[in-house]
Amino acid sequence: MNRLDTDVLILGSGGAGLFAALHAKAGAPDLAVTVAVKGLLGKCGCTRMVQGGYNVALAPGDSVERHFMDTIEGGKWLNDQELAWILVTVARERVRELENELGCFFDRNPDGTIHQKAFAGQTFDRTVHKGDLTGIEIINRLAEQVWARGIGRLEDHRAVALIKTRDGAAVAGVVMIDMRTGEFLFVRARAVLLATGGGPTMYRYHTPSGDKTCDGLAMALSAGLRLRDMEMVQFHPTGLLAGPETRMTGTVLEEGLRGYGAYLLDGEGRRFMTKTDKRGERATRDIVSRAMFAEMRNANTGPMGGLFLTMGHLDPVEVRRQFPGMVERCADCGFDLVSGLVEVVPTAHYMMGGVEFAPDCSTVLEGLYAAGEDTGGVHGANRLGGNGVANSTVFGGIAGDTLAKWTPKHGKFRDPDEAAIAAAEAECLKPLANPPGNLEDVRERLAQLMWDDAGIIRDRASLGRALNGLDELDKALDGVGVAGDDLAYNLAWHDWLNLKNLILVSKVIAAAALARDDSRGAHWRADFPATGDLETSTFTSARLVGGKIDVAMRPVKFTRVRPGESLIKESAAE
Amino acid sequence: MVEFALPANSKITKGKTFPAEPGATRIKKFHVYRWDPDSGANPRIDTFEVDLDKCGPMVLDALIKIKNEIDTTLTFRRSCREGVCGSCAFNIDGTNTLACTKPIADIKGDVKVYPLPHMPVVKDLVPDLSVPYAQYKLIKPWLQADTPPPTGERLQSPEERAKLDGLWECILCFSCQASCPSYWWNGNRYLGPAILLQAYRWIADSRDEAAGERLDNLDDPFKLFRCHTIMNCTNTCPKGLNPGKAIGDIKIALMKRR
Repeated sequence: MNRLDTDVLILGSGGAGLFAALHAKAGAPDLAVTVAVKGLLGKCGCTRMVQGGYNVALAPGDSVERHFMDTIEGGKWLNDQELAWILVTVARERVRELENELGCFFDRNPDGTIHQKAFAGQTFDRTVHKGDLTGIEIINRLAEQVWARGIGRLEDHRAVALIKTRDGAAVAGVVMIDMRTGEFLFVRARAVLLATGGGPTMYRYHTPSGDKTCDGLAMALSAGLRLRDMEMVQFHPTGLLAGPETRMTGTVLEEGLRGYGAYLLDGEGRRFMTKTDKRGERATRDIVSRAMFAEMRNANTGPMGGLFLTMGHLDPVEVRRQFPGMVERCADCGFDLVSGLVEVVPTAHYMMGGVEFAPDCSTVLEGLYAAGEDTGGVHGANRLGGNGVANSTVFGGIAGDTLAKWTPKHGKFRDPDEAAIAAAEAECLKPLANPPGNLEDVRERLAQLMWDDAGIIRDRASLGRALNGLDELDKALDGVGVAGDDLAYNLAWHDWLNLKNLILVSKVIAAAALARDDSRGAHWRADFPATGDLETSTFTSARLVGGKIDVAMRPVKFTRVRPGESLIKESAAE
Repeated sequence: MVEFALPANSKITKGKTFPAEPGATRIKKFHVYRWDPDSGANPRIDTFEVDLDKCGPMVLDALIKIKNEIDTTLTFRRSCREGVCGSCAFNIDGTNTLACTKPIADIKGDVKVYPLPHMPVVKDLVPDLSVPYAQYKLIKPWLQADTPPPTGERLQSPEERAKLDGLWECILCFSCQASCPSYWWNGNRYLGPAILLQAYRWIADSRDEAAGERLDNLDDPFKLFRCHTIMNCTNTCPKGLNPGKAIGDIKIALMKRR
């Protein structure tokens, strides 16, 4: 196997990975920092796809306390409050850094200051944006800085296993596949950052890019780490529905549309959100998605089984000016967003859950760090629109700062467990020994199973079906082979590896959902519809023990504010 | 310089044909460029018959269908599938564009899919983009300002902000770069439309203080002035941007300061 040494290895090139690379290099210029990514740097992954924007308390009248309380209320009190506090406070720093140091440019008010728009579930207009394509601006500027600063790149390289030392005390490196040649590579590193992004692409309708297949979460599980809040999968209410055969289906129409005043209509053309929530369409993502799912179950739908989004009652000139990307996307699929009806469906968007980590981005495994959507705890049971890219850039930067401090002092090139390297390679090569089969059938069954039984509304029976079904699918996948005569850029092989990871993480989602017998945020149990006592809130913590998933319930610590209290009052009293 | 006689193994041969399943009614033929550098064989064009009744509306939908159901060895890059990442830029129906936002219905007759022209091919439809990326780095595409940053944001008026429209939306798919005959001819020295559009994005930004230096670096018969306003770039841009105009604006800025 080919070998490579780098001081710091960063897995993933979204907002978290690139920010970490920049901060690590800035803090410790002598470190060799390498970013490894499944596709091209900055092109694969989801930061680039961010439409709406970046939550940060900047405007007069807003405050970090207010942003914090919105985040905690939105997260239904399951958040790790220290992580959430870091999110809202460091976001202020980070957005200036994005603008003044990296050269990002967000939309302006007439006086030249940054414009902030309304997003659902927030008590203040605080979402910084660039039109409705904010991610392009952020990721292009970040990628340029990475190219400029002598940071190593392993593009078209997928990570397949975290390798520890023989005694299991620390991470030693990562086994990767160079997708261009199909060859294996062991990258030894003094420190490794997991920043691959989650991506709930195991659901029938989903928004993330095709590269996102929970690789980081699967590797963390296999390395024995705990994942928290995995039952919390966010469904964005307005995914485009353009028919079953197209990849366009599931792509998201941004939250700002509802923030700006768009209506949701049922199959008969009636508004239904006003029945459910006094905020109507501007209620949080979980509430809107669930109301939509209920309408869909009652077959109160449009021709393709979805519901309708309309902006026809709003000023067409403004809609075109403010949402050019969304108008274009709808037009691509034959819908008129400005004056017509667009068929939409809730679509799996984001995983609030992930690796348990500390405020400095360290994990329980020495040398392993984590940031961004691979982590859990920041958002609790639900993520506010606009807190996602804030999370990845805030904690990516913190991870980089930590790596710059920790690696020169404590990071060592450690001898890897050679047997584990060989085992990881053998595991990846397994499908090549079997006769090629129908991977698509497995993928289809997975998508439908998760959508039906572990999706927006769940109960004990459906989750039981999901867990059994996932075991069957796992066995079925093991029997499906891939043609292995040419491993260079062999997409079918990577599809197989992707599915393996998706099935493993799906099992964790279902197991965690079964363990939580209440309904909070994104998690709705039809058999336990009550929120439960907030004071005694617990979060799920799952790990892999001997190939089985073990879920523990752990108490939430209210380190800054207790249910029923608010920091906003305190700050007003000061 | 340019080789007029193509090397023997660059000639494209006719490859395999994969007929549609029996009973298919709305058949469209996709002719797709295939090449495997390790095989030693010439590139070939494989023909896939796709039943449009069982295929999504975009060219990317058809390519994914082919890869999933007909020939799993077909290789291409793709990521976001919504026209944002620029990974799936190919030469489709004779024009460089994004497969994910190109409707099959817009194409009369058979659909031809080739890699981006005049880029080295890694395999099938995957191009090696290291040269354009190196050129991108050459224009220092990052904010340069000696004035210390204010405590808040650097202010910019809506008028100054408007100057960046049509520039910042570029997704670096390199469709324009690979459509430019001047770039085909002098790609080692001419920066090309994608890179020059990005260069102008920084020159036009009122917060950047290095416009003079940026212009100095572009004032070169090859880097900039190989643009002959052929305008293939603007015609091909899948995002509707106008690199030709941006290049013109750089030339004007250079003239003005003389």
